[in-house]
Amino acid sequence: MMRTAFLALLLGAAMTQPAWAEIARIKRSVGTASVERGQDKLTPTPGFQLLAGDTLVTGKNGQLSLTFIDDTRFSVGPNSRISVDQFDYDRKNQTGKFVTRVNRGSLAIVSGQIAHSKRDAMKVRTPTSLLGVRGTRFIVEVPK
Amino acid sequence: MRIRSLSPLIMAGLLASCATPSVTLLTSEEGRQGAVALLEENGKPVESEISELNSRTNLSGKPRTRSIDPAKLSARKRTLLSELPPPPMRQTLYFKEGTTELMPESEPGLAYLKAEVAQRPGAEVQVTGYTDTLGSSEDNDLLSQQRAEEVLAALAQQGIDKGLMSAVGRGERELREETPDGVANPVNRRVVVIVR
Repeated sequence: MMRTAFLALLLGAAMTQPAWAEIARIKRSVGTASVERGQDKLTPTPGFQLLAGDTLVTGKNGQLSLTFIDDTRFSVGPNSRISVDQFDYDRKNQTGKFVTRVNRGSLAIVSGQIAHSKRDAMKVRTPTSLLGVRGTRFIVEVPK
Repeated sequence: MRIRSLSPLIMAGLLASCATPSVTLLTSEEGRQGAVALLEENGKPVESEISELNSRTNLSGKPRTRSIDPAKLSARKRTLLSELPPPPMRQTLYFKEGTTELMPESEPGLAYLKAEVAQRPGAEVQVTGYTDTLGSSEDNDLLSQQRAEEVLAALAQQGIDKGLMSAVGRGERELREETPDGVANPVNRRVVVIVR
């Protein structure tokens, strides 16, 4: 009985997404690009692990490609500033909440499990609007 | 560099078309229907859905959706799309009853996975083990975890960095084929490897 409870706890811990856990991995980084995490400015290289709350920043020749753990894919264009404000994902049920803010620049998205799980579980915010993602491949542009 | 070679006229056109925030909805890779809902505009709740594939909608002022020709996307948009990472791939490996031993026909899957990871810089590998409903659920939790760890170790032996991988066991939850309890089923005795 104890063992079952412990295992269930263990499995539960492995399946939900704590705030400090990886949410995405950088696949490609070109030109001037950084990841802002609190006060820190980090340099993304392939394999770099993104956390919820991180901000992706690119310069005029910058480009970033990344895949999230729910299979969502991002391509970030030059002169961009994009924050992942919220990313809660339950790997077991493949459900969650995903809020991305495009402050400026361009972002191509192919949506993944979170968008698929429930209507408007994935949202994209721009300075003027709020979008609900219902699938699957689109581009958001916010010129300066 | 590519932009510099374009004529000033085209450049002006490009700039004009990008002057306002916008969303461009494209066809999905698998040809599935897609849509984007406009939930708020200038701080006010609205409710309209953009469901026209290959269209562009401005996001400031009154939203208007216009058809676009996907063959005539700007160089900038084309680059953006071509830089999207490849879709994640999934491979299922099957096991002999009650063991962590792979079925012979699943063994080539390991080399295939290795090649797949090698093609993907910054890869993430998620290994999930499952069992059939034979035996207690406690034992199956353990067995599924062992199966996942066995596959992870085999992949590490193939030369995949352990740091890229994670293993988890799901026991007899999420059966691929629904069966009553206590039923041996070769399709449910599996490990699913996702390479992102």
